[in-house]
Amino acid sequence: MSDSLRIALAAVDAAMAAGATDAEATTSIADRFSAEARDVQLTKLEQSRSRSLAVRVFVGRRRAHLGTSDLTTEGIGELCARAVEAARFVSEDPYAGLPERFASDLDATALGIAADDVIARAADEKVADIRELERRIRASDPRIDNSNGSRIGDAAGETSLANSRGFRASYRSTSASLGTSPVARDGESKRISYYGTAGRSYASLDSTTVVAHEAVRRALAMCGAKTPPTAKMPIIFERDVAASVLGDLFHAFSASNIAVGNSYLVGKVNERIGSPLVTVIDDGRLVGGLGTAPFDSEGVASQATTVIDAGILKTYLFDTYYGRKLGAASTGNAGGGGAIGVNNLYLKAGDTSLNELIAATPRGILVLDTIGFATEHASGVYSRGARGLLIENGELAGPLDGFTIAGTFLEMLAGIDRVANDLRFDSGVVSPSFRVAEMTVSGAG
Amino acid sequence: MTGLDPSLLESLLARALRRGGDYADIFFERKRSQSFRLQDGVIHEASVGMTMGAGIRVISGERSGYAHSDDLSPESLAKAADVAALIADDPNAATRSIAIVARVVPAMYDRFDEAPIDAAIIVDYLHRADVAARAIDRRIDAVNASFSSELQEVQIAASDGRLVYDRRPLLTLGVQSLGTHEGRRANGYYGDGGRTGIDFFLTTTPESIAERSGHIAATNLDAREAPAGEMPVVVGGGGGGVLLHEAVGHGLESDFNRQGTSLYSGRVGERVASDLVTIFDDGNLHGERGSLAVDDEGTPGQHKVLVERGILRGYMQDHLNGTLMGTPSTGSGRRQSFRVMPQPRMCNTHMPPGDSTFEEIIASVERGVYATSFAGGQVEISKGDFVFMVAEGYLIEGGKITAPIRGATLIGNGPDAMTKVTMVGNDARLANRSYTCGKGGQYVPVGVGMPTVKLSQCIVGGSRVG
Repeated sequence: MSDSLRIALAAVDAAMAAGATDAEATTSIADRFSAEARDVQLTKLEQSRSRSLAVRVFVGRRRAHLGTSDLTTEGIGELCARAVEAARFVSEDPYAGLPERFASDLDATALGIAADDVIARAADEKVADIRELERRIRASDPRIDNSNGSRIGDAAGETSLANSRGFRASYRSTSASLGTSPVARDGESKRISYYGTAGRSYASLDSTTVVAHEAVRRALAMCGAKTPPTAKMPIIFERDVAASVLGDLFHAFSASNIAVGNSYLVGKVNERIGSPLVTVIDDGRLVGGLGTAPFDSEGVASQATTVIDAGILKTYLFDTYYGRKLGAASTGNAGGGGAIGVNNLYLKAGDTSLNELIAATPRGILVLDTIGFATEHASGVYSRGARGLLIENGELAGPLDGFTIAGTFLEMLAGIDRVANDLRFDSGVVSPSFRVAEMTVSGAG
Repeated sequence: MTGLDPSLLESLLARALRRGGDYADIFFERKRSQSFRLQDGVIHEASVGMTMGAGIRVISGERSGYAHSDDLSPESLAKAADVAALIADDPNAATRSIAIVARVVPAMYDRFDEAPIDAAIIVDYLHRADVAARAIDRRIDAVNASFSSELQEVQIAASDGRLVYDRRPLLTLGVQSLGTHEGRRANGYYGDGGRTGIDFFLTTTPESIAERSGHIAATNLDAREAPAGEMPVVVGGGGGGVLLHEAVGHGLESDFNRQGTSLYSGRVGERVASDLVTIFDDGNLHGERGSLAVDDEGTPGQHKVLVERGILRGYMQDHLNGTLMGTPSTGSGRRQSFRVMPQPRMCNTHMPPGDSTFEEIIASVERGVYATSFAGGQVEISKGDFVFMVAEGYLIEGGKITAPIRGATLIGNGPDAMTKVTMVGNDARLANRSYTCGKGGQYVPVGVGMPTVKLSQCIVGGSRVG
């Protein structure tokens, strides 16, 4: 038996001994590597084994959660006792409890989430990659005279889940990432950008050539940017920033927000909330996906869930608790710590290229990046700082920054009138580029 | 004192420097936490937590090697020291002997107890908050409240001989109120607490925190679309300090300045703001979220003048960047946990009072926005564009505060916005203690503060044009 499963089983026993009537334990043990280079020099090198344990204890219909990095027998025992004690102060909740059904297909081999090249690759080779990135970005253009560093990182580990109903399973997974952040001189100003690549294996990553090229392109594209005038116009969200919009949207269809009314999608299942081009899927079994696993944090089988189908909201994303509370089955989205999590969430791709989409836009803005974050899940108000490129007569016509884009999520979903074909699964939340017919651009004047 | 045995620390530090290097340190942490959440009027969930482990760092010039371990056996820690040591490769490295001496650190926190706070008291406070928030407005139909407290014990030893211990309490009561009006949902959030124990509630009540949350929700239920475009913005006192944190603070963290990636790099002594602007970052304000008796490298928390009457005076330094830039650490080396290396960070960033009254400032605006509560912000440090998000705001029309407006992002550029500070109120205060700052994936508690400030022009990211 692996270390992680042994610890999970011991934690379940400790919780039951402390007075729990049901218990569930998740152990995660991972070897992590990360390194950073700036200019020709290696600047940071980190290597550690991380271990963590999360336990849910149930005392009848009362529940409490614990998280710890102290994996000694005494440490686990003491914290389990504290969790059981804390549960006495929690209200009886008819929906609290372990799932009724657990995943039966526990074999993760076919899911493509563990790659040998992560474990096998030598540290020297990884460091050579980031020094290569630094060389490439600085050699690419005289305006690139600095960087905020190039980074590489990976993790290889095992996750084990055990509970008092006899479920016990483990799976191995790996991940790797590579990115760089060049700084371009722009007159008296500076332009920093970032481009990164991530996957389950080193083989799935973009090459250093592509990463350096994309990062440099983004830094140089913004040189000389101006603030646009205030106006309403079409907005194209380039795929990385489109993914961040989808990430914000997730909060609105997460059942934990629905249950407390913290969402503009309350009561909207089976209603049209978006244009027919909007199909949103969460797929926990996508081969090689960064959010893929055989089961969720409660041991419920992962699945593919169509959340929005051609503009119609079909379902929220549930774990067991919120499913019971709202009268639905778990969709395999228990994210740990009582939260709902995404697996691989994506907007279904369209069939035109981003270039065709730009060409079909007489006047608008291609947004490359936003700053700020979602705070208004209740009202659905969207307002972000943005950077991007002006589109005039279907052509890119110069960089813009120092402006905001605003609307509401419901207006944006209804206004999506073009979706590009540039979807790539390089993160847990991904999207192709898309266009929203009209948003408010707030800028000069 | 909680921590590793000093003789073990000495041998680990010597081991970490076996291959050379300028400096090594060890950060031991033991953090106990608990939290209770109220939802639908009942206690929904409880959680308890423990974070314990140690991180070993070796610095060699600009290079840092790091390894951590949650297994505190001498064998595992020795392995971590060996991994951290890999960053240095000095063929002439000689075995060094390290002697560490414990130092006393100043008291910086409010009174707290060793034992976790009594759950019965917490449960009572959460129920009182629930009732108080709902009583503010009959349209409020959901309240989420959470109470969390922790005690972080740290021990820091370094090859320069320092050995310090610190015990840092942190408490937060946060209340979110939600309601519906004419089919539209809105929310309000407010939290308070600090580096304090349960005695915090001798001078504050759960009701007062909940009522503020309820008021923000009620205001937002009546709010109309925010305007779009450039206009004067009056930034409210207290939480308005988010403006300083984003527009100036991050750009003055020394890592960006040593690397020359910040727009403030190399500009000490230059004018970066109007002469009404003075900005401090203080690690030594009693009980504030960002306060530290010592930072996570063992340097005492300090008062720092960042900007004085518009002139840039200095950066916030940690050990690594300070050493490379030839200046001492300012006690700004902070880390989220033993799993990560420290970075130069803000503590409590704020502005002293000016001369204007609040009434004078509002009366000076013909058409603009008055923003009173903030949900956070973000900055891009190279060009200096920043945003901060309004959680409660109003229109100003004809010198008077009129209708509430829905949340909008305000955007500006650091030095440009600071040059547009044309009035500073005499009402300086620190914000409620509920802010957390993220940088490079690490989250640490911070404080902000400001008097009421007028920006003569700022872009308001609403959706109503004209």
